[in-house]
Amino acid sequence: MSEPNCHAAEIQAVVLARELQDGEMGAAGASAAIPMAAIMLARKTHAPNIEIAGEMFVNPRPKQLWDSMLDDRALGSCEAAETFLELFGHSHRGLDFFFHNGMQIDRYGNINLHFIGGSIDKPKMRGPGAANISYAGTSKRFYICTHAHSTRTFVPKVDFITSPGYLNGPESFGKSGLKGGPKLCVTPLAVMDFEPETLRMRLKSVHPWSSVEEVAANTGFDLIIQENVPTTDLPTMEELRILREEVDTRGILRKV
Amino acid sequence: MSTRKQKLIQASEIPSLLADWLSDGDLLALGGLFKQGRPCALVRDVIRSGKKNLNLVSSPGSGYDVDLMIAAGCVAETYLPAVTLEDRMCPSFRNAVETGTVQAHCVDALSVVGGLLASANGVPFQPVVAWKGSDVPKHNPLVATIVCPFTGNELFATKAIKPKLTLLHAQEADCYGNIRHLATMTYADKMMARASERVIVSVDRIVSTEDIVARSRETSIPCTYVDAVVEIPYGAHPTGSFPLYSIDEDHIASYASAAEAKRRGKEGGAEALQAYLERHIFSPHDNGMYIDAVGGKPHLSKLEKEAENL
Repeated sequence: MSEPNCHAAEIQAVVLARELQDGEMGAAGASAAIPMAAIMLARKTHAPNIEIAGEMFVNPRPKQLWDSMLDDRALGSCEAAETFLELFGHSHRGLDFFFHNGMQIDRYGNINLHFIGGSIDKPKMRGPGAANISYAGTSKRFYICTHAHSTRTFVPKVDFITSPGYLNGPESFGKSGLKGGPKLCVTPLAVMDFEPETLRMRLKSVHPWSSVEEVAANTGFDLIIQENVPTTDLPTMEELRILREEVDTRGILRKV
Repeated sequence: MSTRKQKLIQASEIPSLLADWLSDGDLLALGGLFKQGRPCALVRDVIRSGKKNLNLVSSPGSGYDVDLMIAAGCVAETYLPAVTLEDRMCPSFRNAVETGTVQAHCVDALSVVGGLLASANGVPFQPVVAWKGSDVPKHNPLVATIVCPFTGNELFATKAIKPKLTLLHAQEADCYGNIRHLATMTYADKMMARASERVIVSVDRIVSTEDIVARSRETSIPCTYVDAVVEIPYGAHPTGSFPLYSIDEDHIASYASAAEAKRRGKEGGAEALQAYLERHIFSPHDNGMYIDAVGGKPHLSKLEKEAENL
């Protein structure tokens, strides 16, 4: 096995960047340093015609990556600045791709950002909630990108569906009128996809510093694990150079 | 000869306007988003005025100022989609909701933006089709299902939100209340001004009406939606007011540490939070004293430099 040449957040950004296709339109959301890095890297490599839009700003040109990508530090320079007056126009059209993080994520890729334990009115632990949850219903696909991979985050069933994944599986998803759904879940340890027949989360590849055993032990439900799970492809020297020299010049992803 | 009435007020007049325009239990709307363009100086006035049981609404993302109002005991209910400091959770919000002293209604961006849009347009609700699969609309007090009168299909309605008072911060205005944002992102500020009964705007500087007229397409909120405008340099601090000054992340982090220590019941936590409130809200009698309390002009120049170099 080759020596890992990058940090966890960097491999996450590179895995996501390779997923994005030229000419697509997408957005990154809140607390989105990794997703924004992925979009910017894709634009500088194989997908120069990606349009970043849907969250009030069109094609921002941040000089560097920021922990928050929703204020003028990152968005001050962009091709068009809209406001929340235009939100409904974007929401019903949907996007090709967007990203979600989660306080809890379950085997069907449902996401909870509201509460853990108790009820919505009397929560044991209250989370931040979420702003725009409508893209799940109107967009072609989304990616789940987390800062941690633990049994606290990856649970059998979320306490509350803030943003839907595949709900309770193929039947409920089919009835819901949802399109798209989660395509990949990318964590600091591994990449997961969803088995087409059951729509359950499946281990796709393990990062070089982790193992199938470690991923399984840190996931609170039975991941679908096939034989001979491959190691996640490392960033190429060129991807890493662009990421560090042109996208994440301040090293935000190396600090995570 | 009669003269046109100015909407420009002195900062010392804010308390009496708040007494007239905002009562305990009213719905208060706050401009900006997360750490940008928040009307923090005006929020400190609301806290000093001792308002209780306020209901809060904002653009879909809020954090520091909302948490501060909750810490000071001004808030009963929130209609806020995402409440976070982004790199960490809002300690006072979290604590208040978990202990049941604040009711955090389960709302999202479309219900809040839709509600403000309906109010701005003078209709009782905004139709919504984009919700599918989420538990949020099921628990959202603003949402009902309706039948389309044209197709007979079922869809959602989200109720108009009409704040009693909206507080905004922008960069420039004239004495008649014509507001000009210089920041690229203005979020829901324009919409909240149109949706609200009363609107007070703080700006970093007052400019001449000739200057406003010379670039009228850049007037972000016309005077017709504004009841009072007040010049408060650095009035968004510790949030950013771009392109003039950037976000004071260290200041927000120091507040969050004190509030988190109190939430965890750590020894000295409650005192640390109380000391923060004293130092930044109750002790300073004017904006100059507040600026001194947060590090004075040299400290703020660093934030100006950061904004300049973006």
